[in-house]
Amino acid sequence: MPPRPVEKHVHPRGIFSRFKGNLEAIAIGVKYFFDPKRSTLIYPKEYIKLREGYRGFIVLVKNKCISCSSCARICPAAAMKMVKVPVTDPKTGKQRIKKFPVINYNRCIFCGYCVDVCPTEALYHVPYHDIVYESMEEAVTDLESFQKEPEYKTAKEGLPVRYIVDEVKGLVKIRVKKEGGEKK
Amino acid sequence: MSGIVRGTVGFNDLKLPGAWTRKIGKDLYEVFIGPQHPGSGHMRIIIRVDGDIIVEAEPDMGYVHRTMEKLSEVRTWIKSIPLFERMAIHDACNVTLPYVRAVEKLLGIEAPERAKYLRVLLCEINRIAAFLYGFGIFGVFLGHSTMYMWPFGDREVWVELAEWLTGARLTHTYPVFGGVRRDVPAGFTDALRKAIRYMRRRLEDYRKIFVDNPVIRSRLEGVGYIPRNLAIELGITGPNLRASGVKYDVRMNHPYEVYDQLDFEIPVFQEGDAYARVLQRVEEIKQSLRILEQVADWLDKHERSPILHDRFWKTAPPLYKKVFQEQGRAKLMAVYAILKVPKGKAYERGETARGEISYYVESDGKNTPYRVRIHSASARNALVYKYILPGHRVMDLPAIYGSIDYFPPEADR
Ligand code: SF4
Ligand code: SF4
Repeated sequence: MPPRPVEKHVHPRGIFSRFKGNLEAIAIGVKYFFDPKRSTLIYPKEYIKLREGYRGFIVLVKNKCISCSSCARICPAAAMKMVKVPVTDPKTGKQRIKKFPVINYNRCIFCGYCVDVCPTEALYHVPYHDIVYESMEEAVTDLESFQKEPEYKTAKEGLPVRYIVDEVKGLVKIRVKKEGGEKK
Repeated sequence: MSGIVRGTVGFNDLKLPGAWTRKIGKDLYEVFIGPQHPGSGHMRIIIRVDGDIIVEAEPDMGYVHRTMEKLSEVRTWIKSIPLFERMAIHDACNVTLPYVRAVEKLLGIEAPERAKYLRVLLCEINRIAAFLYGFGIFGVFLGHSTMYMWPFGDREVWVELAEWLTGARLTHTYPVFGGVRRDVPAGFTDALRKAIRYMRRRLEDYRKIFVDNPVIRSRLEGVGYIPRNLAIELGITGPNLRASGVKYDVRMNHPYEVYDQLDFEIPVFQEGDAYARVLQRVEEIKQSLRILEQVADWLDKHERSPILHDRFWKTAPPLYKKVFQEQGRAKLMAVYAILKVPKGKAYERGETARGEISYYVESDGKNTPYRVRIHSASARNALVYKYILPGHRVMDLPAIYGSIDYFPPEADR
């Protein structure tokens, strides 16, 4: 059945409903006072272990890259740039110039277009995003650092948790293993 | 009110720019609400008060104008999607979908059915999250800090689901021309059903502590009344319009995606005051939950199938198909970066959490748009302050402001 309009009215209120309303409001307040629904993350003692597929920081697998420049072309923030590097052709042994992408995290908006457009899956996301750079220059990667997964300091110090949806409590925080699956 | 005069009476130094003042009516005070006010967002309302009564009000918007329409003209088509998303990031799918659909119209393609359901899925998740966000802000405006904490906490449930589906908390960049970017992950629909049941439970809690709370009712009933014909005249849209008794919802009147195949109601309240607008949003959350249930059922019944239009997907190499089967990620073809859209004009609209948004897209056959005109819901709703604030006391201003659920970045573009 397609959507249809339904007329509704505000229910009027009388003396009794006022009394009831106050009572209900206090009752629910008291209920949550004794049975609170907390889901605070004690960061950085705990950190959220994000799911695979999260669009976090990006890493290049250089030997898969075919230098097609699609990633740089589709980047909406002009964060991905191609740099020219001299390489030696393995077959002929000749020197030639090849282009590889580097990323500027000052600009990147983590839209993931570049990862999705790469025809050889030479780029991938790491599932974390809380990394602090001390200066603007640090956030600009060169070809070397773009091939390494950025150091995830929070994971070294904190405990990994994850929020799962629960029918009664909303979000429930559970402990997970550092690597791989979930642990209750 | 007379025109602008320089300096207060008797003050003769005409050079100082700060000495510019305006004559206003006798015994009136001019009060500037915003733009730095922590609650009002990046917007200012200039009110003139006689004692405690507002006599005139002027909404002054544009503080977060980012020239989006102009910027889109120098970007290739697909790059504008993350840009337009920044109008209302917590409603990202809803605000960008009409743009994507307008371009699809020009390309002469349509998303596959599964992609349509996925779009509706994220749209409704976004809608609920945006309503909860609005409730939170509204609660804090009224000094009801419980109603600030609860919806913001519960919104996290929907943000979490959206993150699982798309890979980003807010700026999902989910719909692209011809489809969507990701299929539902395994176990997603179960979590979604749990979230739906949880939300229904929570709405009952909200009713008790906020909606039916006599204090809240006393503050909202009869306040900020928008008569039906004024609402139509000003072109107000969304829940505000429907709370004034107008049966208009883009999902019903101009259905898009699969909305015409889903079974849901468009609640319409007759009262038109701030309280009716609260109830309107509560009812709309209920209907969104209903839609989500149906979408979850549909997704469970149907196998994974391509979520990009054949025009693009038929060029997909085996690696793309493998990634899609294994990870549910529809990789983009290189052509997206340099897409040329055929000459033409297209107009599309969609229903966001705050009302109707419309896009006029014109292409002259190049890889960038010739013109994109956006008319967002908040821009239309902002006007109403001028007409409904006068006559109220200053303390009613936060109640009215919050009940309209105005979102400055969306209005200013
Ligand atoms: S994630 Fe988006 S913004 Fe960042 S480099 Fe890739 S395409 Fe550019
Ligand atoms: S899209 Fe992939 S293969 Fe092409 S240049 Fe970028 S990283 Fe290399």
